[in-house]
Amino acid sequence: MPAVIHLLLRRLGISFVVLIGVSMLIFAIARVIPGDPARIALGPNATTEQIAKLRTAMHLDESLPVQYGHFIADVSRGDLGISLYTNRPVTKDIAQFLPATLELVLLAGLIMIAVGLPLGMLAARYRERWPDHLIRVLALLTVSAPGFVWAVILMLLFAFYLPLFPIAGRITDSFEITRVTGFLTVDTLLAGNLEAFVDVIHHLILPAIALSLSGIGQAARLTRANMVETYKKPYIEMAQAYGFFPSKIARSYAFKPSLIPSLTIIGLDFAAMLGNAFLVEAVFAWPGLSRYGVAVILRKDLNAIMGTVLIIAITFLIVNIIVDMMIAFLNPRIRHSARGSA
Amino acid sequence: MINKTAFASALCAATLLATPAFAETVLRIDEVAVGELDPAKASDYADSILMFNVYDTLVLPQQGGPGHVPHLAASWEVDGATYTVKLRDDVKFQSGNAMTAADVVYSIERMQALGAGLSYLFAGVSAEAVDDTTVRFTLEKPYAPFIASLVRLPIVDMAHVKASSDTEWGEEFLSANGAGSGAYSVKSHNPQEETVMSKSDSYFLSVPDAAPDTVRMRYGLEAATVRTLIAQGEHDIASQWLPPEVVQALAKDGSQLLTENGTGAFYFKMNTTKAPLDDVNCRLALSHAFDYGTAVKMIAINDSVSAGSPATGAIPVGMFGANGSDMVMAQDMEKAKEYLAACKHDAADMNIEVSWIAEVPLEERFALLMQSNFTQLGIKSEIKKLPWALFAEQVSSPENTPHISQLFVNAVTGDPDTLLYGMYHSSTPGTWQSPEYLNDAKVDEYLEAGRTASNDAGREAAYKSLNTRLLEIAPTIYGFDRQSVFAASNRVSVPALSDPDKAFGLDGLGFSFRLMEMTE
Repeated sequence: MPAVIHLLLRRLGISFVVLIGVSMLIFAIARVIPGDPARIALGPNATTEQIAKLRTAMHLDESLPVQYGHFIADVSRGDLGISLYTNRPVTKDIAQFLPATLELVLLAGLIMIAVGLPLGMLAARYRERWPDHLIRVLALLTVSAPGFVWAVILMLLFAFYLPLFPIAGRITDSFEITRVTGFLTVDTLLAGNLEAFVDVIHHLILPAIALSLSGIGQAARLTRANMVETYKKPYIEMAQAYGFFPSKIARSYAFKPSLIPSLTIIGLDFAAMLGNAFLVEAVFAWPGLSRYGVAVILRKDLNAIMGTVLIIAITFLIVNIIVDMMIAFLNPRIRHSARGSA
Repeated sequence: MINKTAFASALCAATLLATPAFAETVLRIDEVAVGELDPAKASDYADSILMFNVYDTLVLPQQGGPGHVPHLAASWEVDGATYTVKLRDDVKFQSGNAMTAADVVYSIERMQALGAGLSYLFAGVSAEAVDDTTVRFTLEKPYAPFIASLVRLPIVDMAHVKASSDTEWGEEFLSANGAGSGAYSVKSHNPQEETVMSKSDSYFLSVPDAAPDTVRMRYGLEAATVRTLIAQGEHDIASQWLPPEVVQALAKDGSQLLTENGTGAFYFKMNTTKAPLDDVNCRLALSHAFDYGTAVKMIAINDSVSAGSPATGAIPVGMFGANGSDMVMAQDMEKAKEYLAACKHDAADMNIEVSWIAEVPLEERFALLMQSNFTQLGIKSEIKKLPWALFAEQVSSPENTPHISQLFVNAVTGDPDTLLYGMYHSSTPGTWQSPEYLNDAKVDEYLEAGRTASNDAGREAAYKSLNTRLLEIAPTIYGFDRQSVFAASNRVSVPALSDPDKAFGLDGLGFSFRLMEMTE
């Protein structure tokens, strides 16, 4: 069996175990949060009888293992239950809200990589000189302030004082686009409506930048630190002695080996954005899964909490597997060690 | 001169031609919670806005005064516990189906079967269709505010629901679609995002052209986002849950402030089973020590608009039995000290637990105000933050219920019965509305009289006596009469939320879009 396939299978097996563990943990934690989910769902005007009826329907009067059994049986049929927050099947909610978040996170991730890595490279290339100092200060600034602060600042600057970008939502109300994939960038293209596509991109820019800023700083700092270490290696000195251009040394000899540790963190940052996007989504009224996740936690909507956490956990695991595969591709030693253990 | 006039006329004509004759008007509002579209499950503010616009009810509260007027009903007769309602014969649902008595029977039976929302208002009520335009409601026992309860019975298009759904009550269908006769029909409903409604062409009453053509009701917008949207002219009416500072900022920027009142109050509820509040003198001491004037100042938006007005007793001004607006509650430390001296508990031993609901930060400020007021009497107090979910659980037993709980309570039908019975009748202790655990025979007697009196004068007298009794035994510190404040752009005119003569006195009904006018 090829080593990479073996590595992939091993990662998939571990991920499945992790997923079961996460489901049990969240199932228990969600039920420990104070408050009766039925009472919260039915609101302050509900009578005792109404609350009792809903508790029975939700199996809340049964023991935790029995409740977990019901949950697993439902999940195996693809049924995550009804959300008490939206009064719809959780699967329908996830299908509607996940593409909105993924679209945002994908663009934010691309911005993080496209801006963060070159900045880190530039800082390392001009280490201890003014470009390095400037980049380090900017990186520190973006890392230290949370995404929602940037969201509010960007909204104030570029939507309020300079009305260059839209304030809220994914698309201007006047466009009526049939939702096929839920990714509006794709759906507008499928509809052949370029004007709407530009409008969707226009709506994406500010929230994506707000979400990516912290990751940009992180990626730049990591890349710089790794490259500075690489610059101390003898083969770089040799390349310098041979008279290669500094830009060629930076790109071809210092950057690639430095990318491997950065890649792991960038992958984790990318996946973490799914969970962290909620405040940015809240500020820009972005109807995404992260905002949905927070809303359902506050309402103790058990089915929706389980559904959202499982989706985020699965995405985390998928991104991790992809990163592992990329690292194995970039680093022959890992490929060889995988083959060895096979 | 002639040339100039001709030129000006030509310019005007050209401008008129260039302007579309019927530009679509869009009203954008927001609510914190996702609106529940199913009318049988409607209970909170967002649900009510949807319900009152997509559906109609048999009666409506009289605008600007007490009582009710026919709406889908043409008239009604009362005979003890039997109400015979004659329906209008010109009402069509949005589907084109004519409304009949069978739809009314289906609607009430649907509410009772689902047992959600405010269905408890119709427990023990049976309905029968006498003919196509006559419905007879029979109550298990006389209930004077029954007509008031009908404002919470939205009439559903039975034929349309049954044709669109596989189930008897069409729960799934009605959670995403409308089936009413209201002036607005549901175009789309996306929880967490928005519900879009458009003006119905077939409404049985005339709707002015200036009423918004489309309404977008957005959910869960952040305060900063609403502020920016209104400032940029991209939003029209903010929800009442904006922080006062944001409302103040919007008002300073020129936004109008709309108000709705007369439906509820803010109460500091005292646990009458727990020492030292089991002694009426101690409760009276605390209620006289509270600084009502400062509390009202704390909720002021500006010099002329506030989120509440001074309370005059247990019943908000404007409802049956309320005291005159000149009889406001006021701090009186001398009396407080007198009552404290008569209390069987020693002030030095007291430690009053003042709770506040974690989701309502304003309540922490009231808790601090109380703490400062009680300190003046030499009484120690402890402030306790409780998330709503935990509070709702704790109040189910008197031992776990804090000494003082802060709550907004509303009359869901606009009638004092739905405000007071749940709070003070001895048969309903231990709910979020009744952390007082009051058990007072006279209070029970007046509450029952309010339900069974055969005319308005009798009800007025019952609630007057109740109000007096509740001031005598002080189970609650009556903080202030609540007023909801909505910041709004100046492109919309909402008489029901700005002119007291047009106000409905029922939460959410002021948001009847058919009564609004877009001015730009």
